[in-house]
Amino acid sequence: METYLWITSVWGVYLAIAVFVVGMAWRIYQWSTTPKSPIRLGMFPKPKTTAGRIGKMLTDTFVAPQSMKIEPTMWFFAMAFHIAALGAFVGHLRILGEYPILPGLLEKVGITMNDFAAWSGSIAGILMLVGVLYWIARRTYGPYKNLSVPEDYLLLFLLLGVVVMGDHMRFVYGGIIHAATYREWFLNLLAFKPAFPAELLESNVGISLGTHMLFTDLFLMYFPFSKLVHSIGAFSSNLVRSE
Amino acid sequence: MDSSQLNTLTGVIDKKMNRQLKVYLDTCARCAICKDACHQYVGTGDFKYLPARRAELIRQVYKKYFTKSGEFVPALYEARDPDDNLLDELYDSAYACTGCRRCMLVCPFSIDTAWILSVAKAILIAAGRGNEMLGQLADAALFKADNFEMFKDVIVDGFKDIEAEVREITGNPNAQVPVDKQGADILYVALAGAHSIRPAAVIFEEAGANWTISMFEAANYGFFYGDVEKARLITKRFIDEAKRLGVKEIVVPECGHAYRVLELFYEAWSKEKMPFKVSHILEKVDEYIKDGSITVEKGLLKGTVTYHDPCQIGRNGGIFEQPRDIVKSLTDSFVDLTPNRAEQWCCGGGGGIVAIEELKDVRLASGSKKVEQLRASGATVLACPCENCRLQIQELNEVHELGIDVVQVIDLVVDAMPLKGKKPVHL
Repeated sequence: METYLWITSVWGVYLAIAVFVVGMAWRIYQWSTTPKSPIRLGMFPKPKTTAGRIGKMLTDTFVAPQSMKIEPTMWFFAMAFHIAALGAFVGHLRILGEYPILPGLLEKVGITMNDFAAWSGSIAGILMLVGVLYWIARRTYGPYKNLSVPEDYLLLFLLLGVVVMGDHMRFVYGGIIHAATYREWFLNLLAFKPAFPAELLESNVGISLGTHMLFTDLFLMYFPFSKLVHSIGAFSSNLVRSE
Repeated sequence: MDSSQLNTLTGVIDKKMNRQLKVYLDTCARCAICKDACHQYVGTGDFKYLPARRAELIRQVYKKYFTKSGEFVPALYEARDPDDNLLDELYDSAYACTGCRRCMLVCPFSIDTAWILSVAKAILIAAGRGNEMLGQLADAALFKADNFEMFKDVIVDGFKDIEAEVREITGNPNAQVPVDKQGADILYVALAGAHSIRPAAVIFEEAGANWTISMFEAANYGFFYGDVEKARLITKRFIDEAKRLGVKEIVVPECGHAYRVLELFYEAWSKEKMPFKVSHILEKVDEYIKDGSITVEKGLLKGTVTYHDPCQIGRNGGIFEQPRDIVKSLTDSFVDLTPNRAEQWCCGGGGGIVAIEELKDVRLASGSKKVEQLRASGATVLACPCENCRLQIQELNEVHELGIDVVQVIDLVVDAMPLKGKKPVHL
């Protein structure tokens, strides 16, 4: 067990972060050093001011009103997934340090931070799972299947692994191991003094955490070389829309 | 496939590469939300017309030869060589596309499939597989410029005939179709055929405009063919003419792509700034009506009139309101199609497809949405300022027995002008 954790949750994390950061930097470098076409590819009506253009780009990227109009179901699941993913990301920040203010506010209404995390994490975890399952289902039939390439399935497989194991930790061990324990592990990692807290090793969460991290490592390492660069590319291409 | 051919074709992608293209090729998530935006996919249900699929063909080659990940694990992306099979698929996808960019409208990343397909066409041309008809029409336009003396007399005679008609229509014996007029303000670049010159001449003459007619036509088959150099040279024919005559403004006729090519593409192609303004004829007509240069009367038009936004003028050109204002000044019975303006359905006739006989079935099937829209509107007259749209919608009109008159906007304007002469009848 300890070896598995060392591979996936220590060395794997270092490698994944390195590959992710360098990969994304390389991607952005490639994009920014490729000359722009002098032809304006925008479509009308387009905002006249720079502020208007940026506003439209942000709306198109974060709300995608035209996509909502043409396929509301897809839009709903995509939105639910992305918002849940953002929520989960923000929730994970707790392993860097406890939030300021929020625990105090919650205490006033009689809720502990751990309870709040359990609820919000559960909702995000379920929504992400539903989103991933929706996308997998969508790729199994008709034109969606014909259009899919192995990359699509690989990413969904990795994502499914990340989410299922994350949910496993949330729903099975959520009441036993709390953020404080994971925080100890992760801060050790960031300080380049990797070590696992005894509490974590004594519990059975190890296999769960290790597998969650295994999928996360692979997911992050593949991220810059996959279509997931839409997470940054969308800003650029949506800005071109009003050029 | 042999390596010299491979080098040529991947070289085309390399030459065409730019930031927009790279981002488009890297980011598509294959979510297929573009599926229901494409009139061709909706009308035929054929997978090869799904916009993301069309782009995917170029992406497969790009992945294999322009990305490390695709080079190492091509299977992951179904990356492949631009071999005969791929080129066959590419031909159908690229030359069937009307370039309406409705897929770009709905794409959460605003991926311009038509832009990716411009690379597809360049690859096909380099492989000697460009569409023959479009290529010949482009070459014919260039031949005319290179051997202009051969054509000049016939063209000028044609203008004289139209001038006689204009005099009859306006009842003004001094009305003109000015040819080669040095110092004119406006150079009107028409389409081949008197229909695009006659009503424009009536309007210019009645408005008292200082105008002249171009010896060349605005249509650009080089653009449809996908050869940027030919497209540039075809446009350059009348750019040079405009410079020589010293005009202040070029006015393009009721043609979709001519406007977009001139307003949005030409300066980038030629790398020089045009010393004159570019207007669509309907922008001028709208001006003339609003400033009182010409008079139009309501009540002369019979029936309910609707308006079709040609993709290259509307969504891709930015002219939405002037044509509507014109039509509304002619009749009280105006209805809009639903959806309209930026969301307008392509009629299915753009991108040169009306000239490609082998794609006729696809083209007619792809008009299903337009037919639906027209039926739902209850209109009896369709004002349509694009030649390709008119040809397509007229054919749909016959096939589906819609009983709609499909007419140029300037024809309707002339119909509604109180003129002393004998007016042609369009409705």
